[in-house]
Amino acid sequence: MSGRWVELTLGPFRASWRAGLGWSIGLALLVVSTVAFWPAFRGSSGISQAIDQLPGPVVQAFGLEGFGTPAGYLRGGLYELIVPLLFAMAGIGFTYSAIASEEDAGRLELFLAQPVSRTALLVGRSVAIFGWLLVLTIVVLASQLASDAVFGIQIETARVVATIVLCALLGAFHAGLCIAVAGAAARPTRLLSVGFSVAYAGYLVRALFPLSAILAPWRHVSPWDWALGSDPLVNGAEAWRYLLLAATGVLLAVAGLVAFARRDIRSA
Amino acid sequence: MGTAVGAGGPADKSLDSPAIRIEGLVKDYGAVHAVQGIDLEVRRGEVFGFLGPNGAGKTTTIRCLLDLLRPTAGRITVLGLDPRRDGIALRRRLAYMPGELRLPERMTAAGLAAAIGRLRGGFDLRRRDELAARLDLDLDRRMRDLSSGNRRKVALLLAFLADAELLVLDEPTNGLDPLMQREFLRLVREARERGTTVFLSSHVLSEVQRAADRVAVLRNGKVLALGGVEELRRRARQRVEVWFAGPPPTQELATLAGLVDSTVEDHRFVAVLAGPIQPLLEVLARHPVVSLLVEEPDLEEAFLDLYEAAS
Repeated sequence: MSGRWVELTLGPFRASWRAGLGWSIGLALLVVSTVAFWPAFRGSSGISQAIDQLPGPVVQAFGLEGFGTPAGYLRGGLYELIVPLLFAMAGIGFTYSAIASEEDAGRLELFLAQPVSRTALLVGRSVAIFGWLLVLTIVVLASQLASDAVFGIQIETARVVATIVLCALLGAFHAGLCIAVAGAAARPTRLLSVGFSVAYAGYLVRALFPLSAILAPWRHVSPWDWALGSDPLVNGAEAWRYLLLAATGVLLAVAGLVAFARRDIRSA
Repeated sequence: MGTAVGAGGPADKSLDSPAIRIEGLVKDYGAVHAVQGIDLEVRRGEVFGFLGPNGAGKTTTIRCLLDLLRPTAGRITVLGLDPRRDGIALRRRLAYMPGELRLPERMTAAGLAAAIGRLRGGFDLRRRDELAARLDLDLDRRMRDLSSGNRRKVALLLAFLADAELLVLDEPTNGLDPLMQREFLRLVREARERGTTVFLSSHVLSEVQRAADRVAVLRNGKVLALGGVEELRRRARQRVEVWFAGPPPTQELATLAGLVDSTVEDHRFVAVLAGPIQPLLEVLARHPVVSLLVEEPDLEEAFLDLYEAAS
């Protein structure tokens, strides 16, 4: 790798280290502290009974089925909502700080005045963003597997890996979406509103559409459904789920690169 | 001795072309017409002043040269290259100092120079230290701890470190103290001696006057005047303030051509001089003058005639 590519990727990667460290610590604490309560749940049948009292659709919408089993517990506590949502937010946040807010502040100009193409600059920053998502994936995986061992959750490792990778790919999808928005225009607030709207709408579609017979077939439009529709902690996931998330994320990022190469760069 | 390397044989077409050629450049931002048809040519090896009040379209034009902006209409060639098509090759041969300095806040000057160096294929560390010493710049301080003058020095360091064929400097001395302004002029002169073309934008006449060979004066996105710096100097107005020991010789002064907008307050005489200064000095020599001040008015006032003729 030439010095130019080192700078174009590692430069923005290093510049995000505070955010990266914060996300890593936060996610690790979340996973470990959630798993730490498992021994208490395992022993109590009361909570399982309480959940059984809830209406079926509510249990389904909040991913509380089988809360007394290891897979059900992890799904309800982490992987139905909070971890995928945090990955999506991380994807949005890294893109916001590495591209959109940098351009808005006029800080891309100094780099674009050098002998590098706009595409190379944005590819470098996208690699840095996906690189941080990879770091977070490893952090969540390591904290989950370590705390499973410590607190005695018995669950197949392959299923845990599948679930966490799918959550991370959901984050990568949102990063790709935000790279597209940032490539199209230097409007950081638009990036945030599009990113969070799509994340929220995607969650609602996945959680609520199955409750209605008419809307249920449409739940597949949600990236959340692509990621978690197979209930991967219990069943694992088909290969197309990974591919669809990765491919749409990459395609959206490429659309951002193309748009970025064709427009004016925002000045300070 | 062998043949000079890179001296530009007939095969190298890009060396026959002017450093910058701008033809009919137009740039609109929606309803705002920032640049409204600029034509100009910058010769190889000259220091070219790009003069105009804020908002005249200087920065927009410069950002088009660097392919940061895409022109609405017109043609630009820089060092014989199209900024859009050959942007990378072109930017390898030019260095740019932005007017608005937005530098990475947490980086040190040394870190930033290293980062830009990696993008440009390396900087000479000895030259870096020598420039830092001349600019009196501490390389180990973070951008966020630097004053605006010191940030300006960082940008100057990066521009002059690049050893480019063309230097594009947007308002380079904004915020620099007079000592550093002088050092800057020395750097520009040295660059020119090495054969570097310098494109220097400014809203301060005196700065351009000291550094440039030729000047274009811009206003409202159009070139109002283009010529040698001396010629322009002659067209520029000056503000004259004279304190006499006694009452000012107003009648004698009133006969002088080119002296306008005069006011008298006790022993003080103030006017704007729009012509040669010699006749005024001859009159003053015949009277007891306590003090004399000749200053450059702001650009609008200096080129009032040009501006009025244009509008």
